[in-house]
Amino acid sequence: MLRCLDWSAVVAAKTSNSPCVVVHGQRVVSRSVAAMSYGVQVGMRRRHAQGLCPDLEIATHQPDRDRRAFNTVVRTVNELVPLIEVSEPGVIVFATRGPSRYFGGDEPMADKIVQALHSSIVADSQFGIGIADSRLAAHIAAHISAQSTAKNTAKAKTPFIVKPDQTKVWLAQQSVRVLSEFANISSETVSLLERLGLNTLQDVCKLGESVLAGRFGELGVELHRLARGDEQHPLAAVAPPPEHLCSRTFEEPITDQQTLLNNVQIMAEEFSDYFVKHGAICVRLILKFESETGAHSERLWYRPQGLTARAIAESAKWQIESWSHKSALVRVQLIADEVRTDTARQLKLWGGVTQIDETATRAIGRLTELLGSTAVQLVKWQGGRDLQDNFQLVSASHFQSRHNELNASVVKPKWRGSLPTPSPSVVYSEPLLVQVVDKDKNLLRVSARHELSAEPAQIIISRQNYKIISWAGPWPIEEKWWDTARSRRLVRLQVVIEKFLSDDSRQVQALLVALEHGEWSIAAIYG
Amino acid sequence: MKLLVPKTLVAKHSFFEKQVLENFVVSDQVRRLLPDAGLVRGRIVRCCGDAAASLALSLCARASQQGSWLGVVGVSHLGISCAVEHGVALERMVFVHPPESSRDWSTTVAAVIDGFDLLIVAVPESLSVSDARRVQARLQSRRSVMIIVDTTTLSQPNFLNTTHPFHADVVLDTTTKSWSGINNGAGYLQQRQVAIKVSGRRVARAQEHLVTCNY
Repeated sequence: MLRCLDWSAVVAAKTSNSPCVVVHGQRVVSRSVAAMSYGVQVGMRRRHAQGLCPDLEIATHQPDRDRRAFNTVVRTVNELVPLIEVSEPGVIVFATRGPSRYFGGDEPMADKIVQALHSSIVADSQFGIGIADSRLAAHIAAHISAQSTAKNTAKAKTPFIVKPDQTKVWLAQQSVRVLSEFANISSETVSLLERLGLNTLQDVCKLGESVLAGRFGELGVELHRLARGDEQHPLAAVAPPPEHLCSRTFEEPITDQQTLLNNVQIMAEEFSDYFVKHGAICVRLILKFESETGAHSERLWYRPQGLTARAIAESAKWQIESWSHKSALVRVQLIADEVRTDTARQLKLWGGVTQIDETATRAIGRLTELLGSTAVQLVKWQGGRDLQDNFQLVSASHFQSRHNELNASVVKPKWRGSLPTPSPSVVYSEPLLVQVVDKDKNLLRVSARHELSAEPAQIIISRQNYKIISWAGPWPIEEKWWDTARSRRLVRLQVVIEKFLSDDSRQVQALLVALEHGEWSIAAIYG
Repeated sequence: MKLLVPKTLVAKHSFFEKQVLENFVVSDQVRRLLPDAGLVRGRIVRCCGDAAASLALSLCARASQQGSWLGVVGVSHLGISCAVEHGVALERMVFVHPPESSRDWSTTVAAVIDGFDLLIVAVPESLSVSDARRVQARLQSRRSVMIIVDTTTLSQPNFLNTTHPFHADVVLDTTTKSWSGINNGAGYLQQRQVAIKVSGRRVARAQEHLVTCNY
């Protein structure tokens, strides 16, 4: 496995030495090496990161950009290793058995890859190569390798190799935190494991599968599998789909990318429907394109939560874009490499899908194709005290809305400390800075006991004064005070201001203003 | 053995048929504002003024509960909690972030119209009249309803100097007159009085209503 740390920051940074962070939803998702030396961490709020490093370069989160940039790396590695899997930008996974034998062992092979990548963009980023028997172990090994190269940059990149048959023993010493970092296990579960006194994977393994299943259900079985060095999901034995579903030969070679993708889309739908009918889902897939001249592109795709039709189509787009021999294509093949039983989904008894739902699902697919997966989003409840935290927008391509798991119609409990209803209809993701002052034009402050220093009298919005005719609050939020990087402390006030329009008619407007880090801002409008 | 066909299924089916052909149902509170006592398919409703966003949500809520999908195009700041309180079905709500340029915007909106019954859109200022006309034609042939929310935020309202590219069938202009439930340091925002001016192509005589609403 090859892993580049913080790939998107590497791509976003203009020069290799400038501090740069990639921000998504006000939180840092990736940071460059230079930014890290200032103490910027992933998950930090944007303003906090700016406070640590004033000349920080801030880039927006663009998965497409990262993906495109990663294509060069993928191509380089693909010259040495025939079948590789790219699950996310920055990570390449491949089976080492064949290539290592060819190059004469794991270490010579790793050296070969390091040499090949020497001239590309990754050379000045932190990347590491890890070799182990399971996916999780290889992930950890690659991470360790990447970090060790970061510490002594002068030295050549060294791969971290876990000897065959040693994986289980080596994995047992790892702390349970690796599960949330590398295996999509939620951090709440990991923190619960720690509180139960299970600090290493060995402890989890010792407990026994049945005990874990009794306590955690499906998740417990998964945890045990991971801890003992198996793959995350047990394999399901489903007869491979019939030939006409997984391979398509075109009489007339296709040169247009869009036409090809439409064809793949149709194939992918039939392909995934086949598995759904058998109660299974494909998690790993080999996608193969063959051109007129006989050249072919072959790549593995993996998604632990299962490849939906939309995900397959997206993968196809990525693969086609990265392929340099773009001539007329004559053949597309989908080969299911790994299939597991589908446990998470249950269709409604009466189907529950109407004509309207089907047209809408198709439209979502079309829009995703048109705009990219990040521009089409569904709503997911996650709970929180703040308005932005309460619901999360998730990319529509991760869900098959035909059986929409988001299931938001269930009444969700209201969190303590959240605002009273009605909620504001306009919520700003980027708060607008204002000043809230008392009648002597002093900026309003809030004491440690959440008491206001005076009554708010006026609000100044972009140099315009508005009179506050009524107010209520404050509603404080103090979250995660035990964690310096993620703690938040703010208070919110409802204020009603008076406005005069150009024709002298009077209008009132209700706003939600918030005070955080000593700055007042408009968080939302009751519009 | 006699085959039993459940009566409810038959009734449900005919009910569904009727729903498709007729207008979208709206809640009692907003019904009297609209000229045809409902949202007529293929039409454009434009909400402006300071209560535009919540008015748009209350127009969509009932139809969304009955199985229609709602596409929110370009109104990324729409409060989701607020939508829930209005009764919009979240599992049938999709947020779309369209590109800014006039041609791409209209292509995107046309794709949304193809799939969804209801749209809440914010119109970019760059939209040309010809592209707007294409979108409107698509809307009429697909029988969806588009609700335009004018993003009159605290800064200047949109389209103040230029004419709006869309010819709305119904224009609802809102002005909040007062809020109640809040009292210098006590209580919280509960109810408000909104003056809504109804005008547009399909409205014979412009009217003004004073509505008390708890959102």
